[in-house]
Amino acid sequence: MSRSVRKGPYVHKSLTKKVREMNKNGKKAVIKTWSRASTITPDMVGHTIAVHDGKKHVPVYITEDMVGHKLGEFAPTRTFRRHGKAGQSTEETTQLL
Amino acid sequence: MTEYFAVGYVLRPQGIKGEIKVEPLTDHIRRFDELDTVLLEDSDGYRQLNIENIRYIQDAVILKIQGYDDVNCAETLRNKYLWIPRSMAKELPEYTYFMADIIGCSVKTQGGDMIGTVKDIIYTKSNDVYVIDSSSGDILIPALKKVVKDVDVRDKVITIDTTGLEGLFPYDV
Repeated sequence: MSRSVRKGPYVHKSLTKKVREMNKNGKKAVIKTWSRASTITPDMVGHTIAVHDGKKHVPVYITEDMVGHKLGEFAPTRTFRRHGKAGQSTEETTQLL
Repeated sequence: MTEYFAVGYVLRPQGIKGEIKVEPLTDHIRRFDELDTVLLEDSDGYRQLNIENIRYIQDAVILKIQGYDDVNCAETLRNKYLWIPRSMAKELPEYTYFMADIIGCSVKTQGGDMIGTVKDIIYTKSNDVYVIDSSSGDILIPALKKVVKDVDVRDKVITIDTTGLEGLFPYDV
């Protein structure tokens, strides 16, 4: 059953407060949060939020496409290792966003 | 710079006609359509293998290698990596790098302060994250254009701008 529209999206209070303060001051800094269940709102766009994955804070840059999703979707809690250890010379690539 | 890239890992023989099941180690599984040959690492270097046939089953690639005509021959390839030279690797668009070139790079700030060495890359649904092995533990840096200012693959040096990243460091930057 989906969340009632009347309540609006869930965002942790302290996270909302920090984002609002930063938007007000025009400051950009990484915000650390443990709240993986918080919904990404339009005022978070352009910020980098470090989402806890159970062990460490994974820095996630928020873009417009991510609005409406939960923060936890972008910080995987499990690491999937394929054959070959880290540093193996595979043809896989990484891209700067 | 890395001279050879692994494009696949041989899982096991497939069937009795000498085919092998390969786990692709590349971003695009259909990459194998463009390859006529692959290299196999041997005790005396790399040996060329000619690909006779390619087909795909879910996330795996089934290859038929010339000269490997029965299951016993195919069994000798089990747990081996299939390589290609850098010259045959895909051309990359701007701001895209091979993972192998990034891992092992030393990371420094624009002011010249050394931070550590990239030891792993975490893939999220958003930006990639570089895990930097530093003297004060692991530091996670988002792979963003506004953060990663320069990547020198030849000298294995990455320069980052630490403005706005204060919370990610265990010390003041």
